[in-house]
Amino acid sequence: MTSVTQSLPDETKKSASSAIGRLIRRPEAGSLLGMLAVFVFFSAVASNIFVQPAGFASWLNVAAEIGIVALPIGLLMIAGELDLSIGSVIPAASLIVAVISGYHGLPEIVGIGAALVFGLTVGLVNGFLVNRTGVPSLIVSIGMMFAVMGLTLGLSVLLTGSTSANIVPDAFYKSILGQFVGGMFAVTIFWWLGFIVVVAYILHVSPIGNWIYALGGDRISARNAGIPTEKLTIGLFMMSGFSAAFVGVSQAMVYQSAQVAGGQAFIFNSIMCVVIGGVLLTGGFGSVLGIVLGTITFSMVNQGIYFTSFDANLGSVIIGALLLIAVLMNDTFRQLALSYSSKKKS
Amino acid sequence: MKNVSRFAAFTSTAIVAAFTATAVMAADIFVIGGKPDDPFWSIVKRGAEDAGMVAEAQGGSVTWLGPQNYDNLGVDAAELIRQAIDQGADGIVGPNWVPEAMDPAFEAVTAAGIPLVIYNAGGLEAADRLGAMNYVGANEFGSGESAGAYMTKNGKSNGVCINTIPGAANVENFCAGFVQGMTDGGGEGGVLPLPATSFGSATAVAQAVRAHLLQNPQIDAVFTVGNVDSNSAISGVQQSGKSGQVLVCGMNFDETILAQIKDGNMACAIDQQGYHMGYLAVSILNANANFGLTVPTREILTGPGVIDSSNVDATIAGVKAGTR
Repeated sequence: MTSVTQSLPDETKKSASSAIGRLIRRPEAGSLLGMLAVFVFFSAVASNIFVQPAGFASWLNVAAEIGIVALPIGLLMIAGELDLSIGSVIPAASLIVAVISGYHGLPEIVGIGAALVFGLTVGLVNGFLVNRTGVPSLIVSIGMMFAVMGLTLGLSVLLTGSTSANIVPDAFYKSILGQFVGGMFAVTIFWWLGFIVVVAYILHVSPIGNWIYALGGDRISARNAGIPTEKLTIGLFMMSGFSAAFVGVSQAMVYQSAQVAGGQAFIFNSIMCVVIGGVLLTGGFGSVLGIVLGTITFSMVNQGIYFTSFDANLGSVIIGALLLIAVLMNDTFRQLALSYSSKKKS
Repeated sequence: MKNVSRFAAFTSTAIVAAFTATAVMAADIFVIGGKPDDPFWSIVKRGAEDAGMVAEAQGGSVTWLGPQNYDNLGVDAAELIRQAIDQGADGIVGPNWVPEAMDPAFEAVTAAGIPLVIYNAGGLEAADRLGAMNYVGANEFGSGESAGAYMTKNGKSNGVCINTIPGAANVENFCAGFVQGMTDGGGEGGVLPLPATSFGSATAVAQAVRAHLLQNPQIDAVFTVGNVDSNSAISGVQQSGKSGQVLVCGMNFDETILAQIKDGNMACAIDQQGYHMGYLAVSILNANANFGLTVPTREILTGPGVIDSSNVDATIAGVKAGTR
């Protein structure tokens, strides 16, 4: 799988085929078409508001939060790993900020710093356990998810006597993490753009990107080729812990409160976004652009439903069907792209 | 003052009586409830545990059984009920969240001759059907109804109930009650059920509310079924640019909700007084198992109580004193 991904750009350069042909052969083509199909569907059946700024804000706000988590999850999945612990890191980080800066009244920077360090630590432990025990990361991170969940509940009740805490953030922190630009676009959208640039650099420009693909392709060969696989694994888990904590912090700033529960929806939603974006569940294949398109598709489907006149009770059916169609479209086009290029080779 | 000393005298007598009675009976009471990390259920749990102190002083115990998550609520809760029977419960307290899934398990409780109290969800009707001693809880339909009545009294005519757990009987009743309350006040009401992908995500709920308000500009009242959802709904209303035009009212409250009411971002909160649900249900069973006592008043209502700007300060004082 790795060799296919790496040979694609060369093929593209060499061949003098049409622009459409080049576009179709990009691994993201399927995700792009899936997204367009969903957009066209809702433009047709939903009310006008869907295509106005208010409608865009609606799914962009949702996409930004999931997107920040989906990016590192995508990298992990390309590297052949999974991280479910994000589901409990998000509420834990929210609560850390709310307890430190709200309940105890310390400066926001202390609470935010502690929350982000916590996220990094969870990632560090995840990566360390995966390296040392050889237990699949799915299991390690499920264990970690429950451990963090229990710690959050236990410590919250112990420290504050309650399972929730509130915080009234300083105007500065509210404006950089929790404001709505123009009254509707969450500032998180701009943070998401920042995360996209950083992750795209890591995966597609820096040499680490190729290491990640190699890790997902074949871990042992990657190590034999001199790639620091253990450090890389730990680094990737720390990235996902950090990103989850970041989302938790911004949620605390937006809703000015934090609860022990919540965040579980992010686990499946982020994996869903990554898969819609064309990343293979088996690892070794995927791109940042694909993940971003997948996130947008997922959010559009979720939010679009509210702008239609469909029976809301059947909302989940339509979400399920549209997502399946998006993934199928993706797979079809990827197959098309791969067979097309291999035909040219022979 | 007189009442306090009378209460103290009663309590000390009760404690003395408790110690003398220890040898006779010991009631092991099992309470089935929500996740212990759920903000609402942690209060119910504390009520149950406080009542459990008396049970423990009399040689018994109180055990809390809650599901890991709400993904398969009815089935999981039915499993917990059967677990309580297997562990030799002398009394069981449980909510009738999903009657279809849970009724057979409750019937097994009464078939085994174990005293049963239904609380939080189901109402007296469920208690009668299942042969339970009593129902302790807020009248769900009435809770929603009081919110609808509050909205119409404050000049609102078109309300929507945000149902974040479609299928749960108590939440369906909150929403049905709200619609009834709006209709009785001369307005109209509807329900917006959210898909499973938005569970536990404040942003998903906020954006759903925002989108629904934009799509349906005639709506001027929003009712939520829990305190976490209320915060999300307020954010959704603000993002739709309709603060002040659309009133938000919600079930349950916490410090943040009280601050929102005080700041005028939220119109009202409906209180079920969860502490009393846990406390009274356990007390009834404990007294019954130990002394054969019964409470002839059936359907013990712990709510609804409406908290709005007029009594929010008193409620905040109550929270600080640890009584709410």
